[in-house]
Formats: sequence, C-alpha cells, structure tokens
Amino acid sequence: MLERPSYPLREGRSKRFRRSFLDKGIGHLAGVIKTSFVQWEMSSRDGLLQGIDPRVKVLFLVVFLLLVTIKKDFPAEGAIALSVFVLAAASRLDLAVMYRRVLFFGFVFGFLVAFPSSVNIITPGHTVWPIVTFDAPYDFWIYHVPDKVGLTREGLLGVAMLSMRVVNCLSLTLLVLYTTPFPEITRTLKLFRAPDAFLVIISLSYKYIFIFARTVEDMYLAKKSRHTGAVADRDARSWVAGRMAMMFRKTQIRCEEIFRAMLSRGFTGEVRLQGFGRLRAGDYTAGAVFLLIGAAVVII
Amino acid sequence: MEPIIEARNITYSYYGKIPALNNVSLEIKEGERFSIIGSNGSGKSTLLQILDGLIHPSAGQVFFRGKEVSEARLADGHFLRFFRERVGYVFQDSDVQLFSPTVQDELVFGPVQLGLSEAEALERAVEVMQMLGIENLRQRPSYMLSGGEKKRVAIGSVLTMNPEVLLLDEPTNGLDPKSQVFLIELMLKLNEVGKTIVICTHDLSLVCELNSGVAVLSEEHSVERTGSSEEILADEDMLLRVNLIHEHMHSHGQTKHRHIHSHFQFHRH
Repeated sequence: MLERPSYPLREGRSKRFRRSFLDKGIGHLAGVIKTSFVQWEMSSRDGLLQGIDPRVKVLFLVVFLLLVTIKKDFPAEGAIALSVFVLAAASRLDLAVMYRRVLFFGFVFGFLVAFPSSVNIITPGHTVWPIVTFDAPYDFWIYHVPDKVGLTREGLLGVAMLSMRVVNCLSLTLLVLYTTPFPEITRTLKLFRAPDAFLVIISLSYKYIFIFARTVEDMYLAKKSRHTGAVADRDARSWVAGRMAMMFRKTQIRCEEIFRAMLSRGFTGEVRLQGFGRLRAGDYTAGAVFLLIGAAVVII
Repeated sequence: MEPIIEARNITYSYYGKIPALNNVSLEIKEGERFSIIGSNGSGKSTLLQILDGLIHPSAGQVFFRGKEVSEARLADGHFLRFFRERVGYVFQDSDVQLFSPTVQDELVFGPVQLGLSEAEALERAVEVMQMLGIENLRQRPSYMLSGGEKKRVAIGSVLTMNPEVLLLDEPTNGLDPKSQVFLIELMLKLNEVGKTIVICTHDLSLVCELNSGVAVLSEEHSVERTGSSEEILADEDMLLRVNLIHEHMHSHGQTKHRHIHSHFQFHRH
C-alpha cells in the first residue's frame, strides 16, 4: 500500500453511463433541501406580507379559502386571483417560481381531474365540441349515452370553474407559505387550538427532515466518490435497502441524543411553546384591508 | 473548599458489554477551570454526560454541591429544577442540541422550561445574542448555520439559563481558528465572572490555553493522573502512554526524522 499505484495514468476510452434511479432519487432529496431554502429565503425578504404578523396572514388564508369555496362565479374568482397576484408582487416573491408550481398542480388536480365531467354523458347541456356520433342513444349503468357524445358548454364552464378554484387555493396557500417562515406557521396553529405537543412534533419533524435529507445525500456522495463505473439497478436497490436499515438505527440514536439535549435544558415532558407578541397597528391595518377585499369579493 | 461536582468510583458500560468508565473518581471546585482529557474512546463524553445526570452509572455516585445526582433524585421536580438551572451542557454535535425552529426559539427554550416569563426569556436571549455576536441570526433556522455559528448558538442556548457550571464536550472540535479563539476567550471570560468551566477534549493546546485543572483518562477508561495543566503537559511519558502525544515522522527542510510530538507546544510563548 505504500508503493505507487500500478494503474495506467492515461484515461480509458470514454463511455457514457445511464443515470441510475438512485441518482435521480437522491437528486430529488437534494431538491427538498433546496426548496426549503427557497421558501425560507423568500419569507425573509423585505416585502409587504413578510412584515405582517403570521396570525393575520393565517386568518387571511382561512377566510379567503372559504370565499374561494363559497363563491361560484368567475368575476369573484378572478378578483381573488388578481388580489393574490398583486399581493405576491408587492411581497417581492419570485412570481415565475410561484406560478409555475400553481399552474402545474392546478392543471393536474383541477383540469385533468375535472375534464372528463365536461362530456355530455356526465354533464348534459349544449354540445359545443362533438367527439363521437352513435346510431342511437343508449343507457349504460347509471349513465345515459346520447347519440352525439361531445363536450358541453356547461361541462367546460364547470371544469374552468373547478380549475380556477384549485389555482386560487394553491396560490393563496403558497402566498402565505412563501411569506411566512414555517415555524411561525406552525405556531400560529395555536390559534386553532392545536395541542402544543402536536406542534412541537411538527416543528421537530420539519427540521429533521432536512438534516436527514442531508445525511442521506452525503452518504450517497461518499459512495459515489468510490465508484468507478455504472451501478446496476439491482445493486443500487440492495444498497438502498441496507442504508435504510442503517439510517433507521442512526435516527434512533440521534433521537436519544436529542432527547438528552432537551433534558439537559430542563425539559420535563411538559411542552411549553413561546407565545406571540402584541399585534401592531400595521397588522390591524393589514387585517382590515384583507377584510375589505374579502367583503368586495362577496359583493361581486 | 467543598467541591461543586464530585464523582466517586464511577463505572459505566454500554449495553452492559462495552466498558466506558472504570472506577473513575474526581473533584471539581467551584469557579475552577477543569479539563477531562483522554484519547478517543477513553470515556470523556460518557463521564461528562454522567456528571450532567443525563445517563446514570452502573456503579458509583455523582454529587452536585454535596447532593447526590441520581435517577431517583432527578425524578423530584424541585431537585431537577435546582440542578438543571445550575448545570448547563454543551454537546459536541451542535445539531443534536439545536432542535428548535429558529435561533431565537433555541435561546428561549431553556428559560421557558425553567418557568421564566416569555418577556424575561426573550430579554435573556437578546442579551446572550449580543454577547455572542449572533443578533443577525435571530430568525435563522439552525440547519442554515455554519459550524461556528451553530456552536455559538448551542453555547448561547445554555447561557440563557445562566448556569453556575458549564460542561462542554469537545468545544473546539471542527471549528476554524477564529471560532476557536472566540470560544477560548469566551470560556475564560465566563470563568472570570465565577462560572465553573468543565471541558472534555483531546486537544492539548486547548488545555494549555485554559490553564486548568486536569484529569487524564487512560485507554483502560480509568483516571491515569490528575493535576494542574502544567504538571500534566510536562509529563510526556504519561501522555504517550495514554495516546495523547505520539511519535511521528517530520520533515525539516530536506531532512526527515521521527520524534515525540505534541502539537500544542508550537503555540507556546
């Protein structure tokens, strides 16, 4: 081992390796860490909503989510979407990042889920886009299949409404998430009488997900640094299974250590969370403005 | 003077199989700087955790101000508060210690557990943040701190409880030179205001800088020798025996040779 290595100093012939599922999986894990950083970084920027007390923002979120659910007309939904856009811009959020997510999930959970209901088999009405024509209408189970099957105006309006409501709910939630540090959000749940023990568990879990993610990524990189070729999927699976058991044990040990750290600082099993300070004039003003916007949406 | 902490004939093993401490006894006086030194695996961290009542010895006793610190005594709420308020522990791995959402939450955790009002706890947190120069990290989650920042916050989280005794496990481990100097100066400053500082380390330069009382743990997990840092650091045979100094190869210019080497001596003035 103390002699010079005997392998040739020149590189071998180049050969491309397929990126294994392990690479992709670990990449996603690293993404979790990055996303968290983006959320934290955005919530600490100087913007309109970042300066407002989290209690006001969480109440705003709950009230507006209710409005989105109650109102069933386009002008009201449009007004809510516009308000969210203006607030997001005033809070100096990265609108591209935010709306890319909103539109993706809105498309999957709004449009794709609701789209089949626009066919006249499910939603009868005026057919605006015929798809198939049969010789005669017939009944199948609880459905009546007309001779001309197509998309109806009523159905398409229903899909558009549902997609818009999903998009509004998502954008409202992301607006609050991106402008409020996660720990503040969990603490605000105290307002809704969530038990302190539950909140502590959420906060601890959130924090340790990232430490866990980083450990997994480091472990993987350590392995990768000692690999010289592509890894067969079977070997990769076997490695993952082995590491899962090891991570479980590591987590268990860390859990014991953290509990000791809590004990050493006087924790007796009774959870005591730090409360909130008083609301400032700015918070009351923001609350009043949100209520006014909400009232305007109701009137529309 | 009555010792503030006393360990009498402590024996401990992990899972009843792996020995960690063997009949260890030592005394630490109030206001003293004290270092527990030994090579890796000699049982330093285990001893420190036993002194803090976090784990309990399989044989032997620990006393704090003449009162026994046992599992049964710590089950008494009054004694628990008395003890935790007075003895603080800084873990080697700061990630273990930083379990609250933000730096500020971390600093108020201890005082709130001790029953202080939120205003008082916050006041202490602000004071400690100013002392440690971490006001800018106030709302930062701990997983977004550097190693040095984490260590400062971990120490701060204990200082807000204003303990009489500070137990620090490998305090300078993994820190850059600037952070190390900051930490050493902080320990000296805290000792000047009357706090008892107990560290465990294998870094002899730190022992030299602290100029403290020392207990040396051997690789057999027992106390090899106690004395002042000057006496201990001068005993090279003993340090070699317990694996704290070593003989290794050096190059001086073009010449290479082997000799006994303890890195701390380079820093002596």
